[in-house]
Amino acid sequence: MMCSHAKELIAASWLGTLATDDAASLEEHLVLCSECNNEMTSLGGLWHSLADMPAPEPSPALDARWQSTLESLISAQQPAAIRKTSWLANLWPRNPVWQGALALACLIAGVLIGTNMPRQSKEIARLHDEITNTREMVALSLMQRESATERLKGVSYTDRLPTIQPDVVTALIDAVAHDPSVNVRLAAIDALSKASGNSGVLQSLTQSLPRQDSPMVQAALIDYLVDARDKKAVTTIRQLASQPDLNPAVLERTHFALQQLSR
Amino acid sequence: MNAPTQIPSQYGSDHASMTAVARGELSCMSEIYENRHRSLFRFFFRLTRKQALSEDLVHEVFLRMIRYRHTYQTEGANNSPGAFEAWMYRIARNALVDHSRKHRHEVAPAQGQLELDQLESIPSQRPTPFESTAKRQDMARLYRALRELPEEKRELLVLTRFEGLSHDQIGRILGCESNTVKGRVFRAMKELGSIYSDLCKEKAS
Repeated sequence: MMCSHAKELIAASWLGTLATDDAASLEEHLVLCSECNNEMTSLGGLWHSLADMPAPEPSPALDARWQSTLESLISAQQPAAIRKTSWLANLWPRNPVWQGALALACLIAGVLIGTNMPRQSKEIARLHDEITNTREMVALSLMQRESATERLKGVSYTDRLPTIQPDVVTALIDAVAHDPSVNVRLAAIDALSKASGNSGVLQSLTQSLPRQDSPMVQAALIDYLVDARDKKAVTTIRQLASQPDLNPAVLERTHFALQQLSR
Repeated sequence: MNAPTQIPSQYGSDHASMTAVARGELSCMSEIYENRHRSLFRFFFRLTRKQALSEDLVHEVFLRMIRYRHTYQTEGANNSPGAFEAWMYRIARNALVDHSRKHRHEVAPAQGQLELDQLESIPSQRPTPFESTAKRQDMARLYRALRELPEEKRELLVLTRFEGLSHDQIGRILGCESNTVKGRVFRAMKELGSIYSDLCKEKAS
């Protein structure tokens, strides 16, 4: 017997799955091969020692977690079964013509009910207004905070408003003109994009342009005015371009703006 | 050895329960969980040495067993002995491989006293009052030697020695012949013996 085969038999003997014939062959080999014999003895001892190693146990939390998962999986499976056996399912006609007629009748009934319920739609509109007002209040309140992060959140919150009301517009213009944080000013310019057709907004932003000390805000305001095609801003932009210490990137942007607005 | 406790199932075996689950009777999964969750936990714990992670992986295996229950019908329908174990441990190995792949950049915990601490924190199933300090130290060295074994060899020993799977079952899990498994088990034991004796010499010097 080759030693490689003997080693396979040794491994089988550890698991107690050695056939009688193989056991006899292995016995013969071990008598002749001292290396295999030594390995059988030493590794066999180690194999038995492994059995003494303590076994860890899972925590009871695992049982609770699995129980809850299984219950939710079973309950998720149930509605489909209930639908199949429901008495309501038996009322549904088998004939496709009747099915189509029933669906059409449901559609007509739905339209009639919908058009004859103005009170409810008014209720929905009122709730919608209330939500919008609450959002406005949240945005305005956040914009008054001391922390720049909170003010930034307030400005970003205005994105959730379907339209921006005059008091929000005023707060955003005020943020562009006076907020000490560049990020808040930039976000406020972005938020005012919804009101770019408003001449009052354009005028206020044009007025705030020369007072800006940040090149990024200057560039963002110039872009805003160009996008809004506000030709009234040309004079202010030209004055800005003539400033000797103007940032080169902003200067380049003013040339571009003047070229666009002069067309 | 801490063999998993087999609880008689309503269907007679985990194979029958799993076949029922595959037909859509998800409630039968609780019997399989009762029979198998401890052994799966020990399998993962011996490979990862992390309690919380091992529990997460056990949970994941049972979820996958439900998710892939239809594959059991095709793979395990022959009802051959050990078909269920082979299927379950294949899922377990895949879950562990997927986890390792996702978290391969994470730093492993500091080693050293860890294995002895872990060993002491695990309640031994044998009476401890008569255990000598020397024996506990020997056990800690063996635990450390097992930990230092390359992962695929450690997995092989965990499956054979601790989970009690046959060479045939392991062959089905690993996709190789039973005789190949025997050869690999022998080599894994030889390497374990070599690490263990190095640790004993380290202690003596």
